[in-house]
Amino acid sequence: MPPLKKILDSIEKHFTGSGKFKQLEPVFDAIKTVVFFPSPKNQYTPFVRDNLDLKRFMTFVLISLLPVLIFGIYNTGLQAGLAQGESLAFIQAFLLGSRTVLPIILVTYGVGLFWEILFASLRKHKISEGFLVTGLLFPLTLPATIPLWQVALGISFGVVIGKEVFGGTGRNILNPALTGRAFLYFSYPVSMSGEVWVAAKSTVDGISGATALSIQALDGEKITTVLSDSGFNLSNLFFGFIPGSIGETSALCCILGALFLIITKIANFRIIIGGILGLIVTSIIFYLIPGGSDSWMDAGPLYHLCAGGFLFGISFMATDPVSAPGTNPGRWIYGFLIGFLTVTIRVANPAFVEGTMLAILFMNVFASLLDHIIIKNSASKRIPNV
Amino acid sequence: MENIKILKGFKTRITGMPDLSVIQMPEPETIAVSALDIPYIRPKLLVKENDSVKTGTPLFCDKRNKCISYVSPATGIVKKIVFGDRRRLQEVVIALDKNLNKNIDKNLDKNSGMTDDFIQFETLPEIGVEKVPRSKIINLLQQGGLWQCLREFPSKDTADENHAPPMIIVSLNGNDLFSPHPKVITENETTFFEFGLKILKQFSNRIIVTSRQSSLNMLNGFKDHITHAVPDFYPSWDPAVVLYQLKKTREENRSWCIAAEHLILIAKFLLTGRYPVKRVVTVTRKNDKKPHLIIRQGAPVQELVGHLDDNYIITTGRFNGRLVDPKSHMGFFENTLNIIPDNHKEELFGFIQPGISKSSVSRTFLSCLSNSPRDLDANTHGEERACINCGYCTSICPVDLAPNFIMKALFSDDIEDALSYGLLDCCRCGLCSYTCPSKIELTKILSDGMEAHYKDKE
Repeated sequence: MPPLKKILDSIEKHFTGSGKFKQLEPVFDAIKTVVFFPSPKNQYTPFVRDNLDLKRFMTFVLISLLPVLIFGIYNTGLQAGLAQGESLAFIQAFLLGSRTVLPIILVTYGVGLFWEILFASLRKHKISEGFLVTGLLFPLTLPATIPLWQVALGISFGVVIGKEVFGGTGRNILNPALTGRAFLYFSYPVSMSGEVWVAAKSTVDGISGATALSIQALDGEKITTVLSDSGFNLSNLFFGFIPGSIGETSALCCILGALFLIITKIANFRIIIGGILGLIVTSIIFYLIPGGSDSWMDAGPLYHLCAGGFLFGISFMATDPVSAPGTNPGRWIYGFLIGFLTVTIRVANPAFVEGTMLAILFMNVFASLLDHIIIKNSASKRIPNV
Repeated sequence: MENIKILKGFKTRITGMPDLSVIQMPEPETIAVSALDIPYIRPKLLVKENDSVKTGTPLFCDKRNKCISYVSPATGIVKKIVFGDRRRLQEVVIALDKNLNKNIDKNLDKNSGMTDDFIQFETLPEIGVEKVPRSKIINLLQQGGLWQCLREFPSKDTADENHAPPMIIVSLNGNDLFSPHPKVITENETTFFEFGLKILKQFSNRIIVTSRQSSLNMLNGFKDHITHAVPDFYPSWDPAVVLYQLKKTREENRSWCIAAEHLILIAKFLLTGRYPVKRVVTVTRKNDKKPHLIIRQGAPVQELVGHLDDNYIITTGRFNGRLVDPKSHMGFFENTLNIIPDNHKEELFGFIQPGISKSSVSRTFLSCLSNSPRDLDANTHGEERACINCGYCTSICPVDLAPNFIMKALFSDDIEDALSYGLLDCCRCGLCSYTCPSKIELTKILSDGMEAHYKDKE
């Protein structure tokens, strides 16, 4: 028996039954089952089971987020350097970025886990692995300049109101990470959507970086020209060397993560492809409508795809199976409408430039309705058997 | 012959396929008639311990229809009647009479090669059986303990003799992937099978005979009888899946089904007047290639599997069988034993192992890169969690159910919704539970729901 197992076994009695720390049983259980993977004998038929479990399922989402995370840290450092007029090497930028991003992630996990543990202890259930994903998704949607107390507040809102009040993982209607972000977005618009999305704000006064989506062209100018002039040419948007929320800037990294999720069958490809289709179709329609060449209406599908948080949202947020529909036709519609709404909000309502977040949350609400319609429809096609 | 197109099922190859050779097992000391594998039965015992019984003596009947008897497959003495919880009959154990072998000439049954003291039932003529009244056949089969072979959908209860089924599905393949091969079952039995089909025609105009695609080439002369071929992955050959694919009207939900080997038993019984006692079974285990075994019905499990330590479980179908105690006996409907290892060790960081040889329907293990056969074990590989609506169950269900939504309907006691989603089409193949990453007992929940509904209706 490995020594670690011995230690865990010897302290188990304090956490179970009438032990001293019985309130902390979910924490002990979570640590124990992460280290030593439980695999008891099956009690009911079928007596064989697949090897995939929720721990691995969620871990794979975390793996898919690695490119986004690493690039996000690097880009945060890079943008901070640029704001100070320096061009930093990869390692320097990465280290500088880590100093800003890691505290945000740590605060998210710390505060979020506190709520998870509290509710698990009160409700006497195990800590769900779903939070590991929420806890990484949430910081990636935030600007690097966000004050840490807002991070704590946001994740608390996301976990408690977005998830636990509905009964915990598997029962939430909205994506908890996005719920938290939406809360911050509407409560503290200054730190979330203003002109201050560059990490080094405190060190250099007066330097501000607008995000691509908040750019509006003056009369007579084309939006694409203005975007290129401000450093938001397509290549920068695709690779992600632009200011923006930590994880959203690089379209390339989001695509890598999405491909990984699709290939491993962790995320449903229908949502991602449907979303991209929806975005492309809608942006082409807006493009073809005459006028509006100075706004995002005329930006065309490629700019819409690469700018803002759309690819991040559709790959990692919209594919959260709990808040997405559970039927295949439902997933296509859900994805398509997210793409459609994202462009529509961006074009029609410049006050809320980040359309993706609102589009996904809006469609989360409608996911159950889509399922309801699809299931009733497919049930009516079955030969009744009662 | 038509091909039935089925898209969903368990497509991983697994190890332990039995060999096609056949060996005869020696006579056991005891045999038993099990009541555990007869669904819905409410047994009424007709014998006491120490009674002597002949081959064909009724041991118990069904309280719901006392004409349906379950008879002894051997001659000897009732050694023990085993009851389970709430005094539910489990099995009637019979010690075989060893003196019978001494008068071998007198007792030898030429057809079966068995030395039994048979109860002689009435026989039917091979030619002109079409003119025998239906009620007479029903009577004979019920007395002779073989009426149970005919099962009625959707609950797969014993067929209701007053109901004329719109179709009868004869399945050449058993419940498990490695159930006895149709070639072994039908070898030299073609005449009996044809007679059996004539009997079935008395009950229904539409007889469907199905076989796995891979078995077709080995069935030579038998091929003409097969009306439908099904794909070669589990559970395409399950009669409930076949019914789901074929049915066009509501009435067809109450079709019947029968296994090919049982049809052959019926034919033998009606032609010879003697209860047929031979059965073909397989015993499968990873990396083994054991031959098919010919045994007497109800042989002890221990003699078939040999000695096993605690690190194994034995089932009568890895996806849809029951867990068997090695000290018990084979049931009437059971013709395969799967010895499955129990790897209960807790792997260090097991959830993130690369998994070169771990089987999964997802692509989260390196094993998805090759198509070599996999070993399955008897463990959950994780803990139960809330349903996250991932849809793995829906994408594997062979009868197009959404088990996660049916589960939620059943949990909220919304039986009407569950039924309209197709609950009664469920073939209980077990694949939803197999594939669920949250390790929810979907099969049990759906199956319990079906049973509660059926008992409520009864």
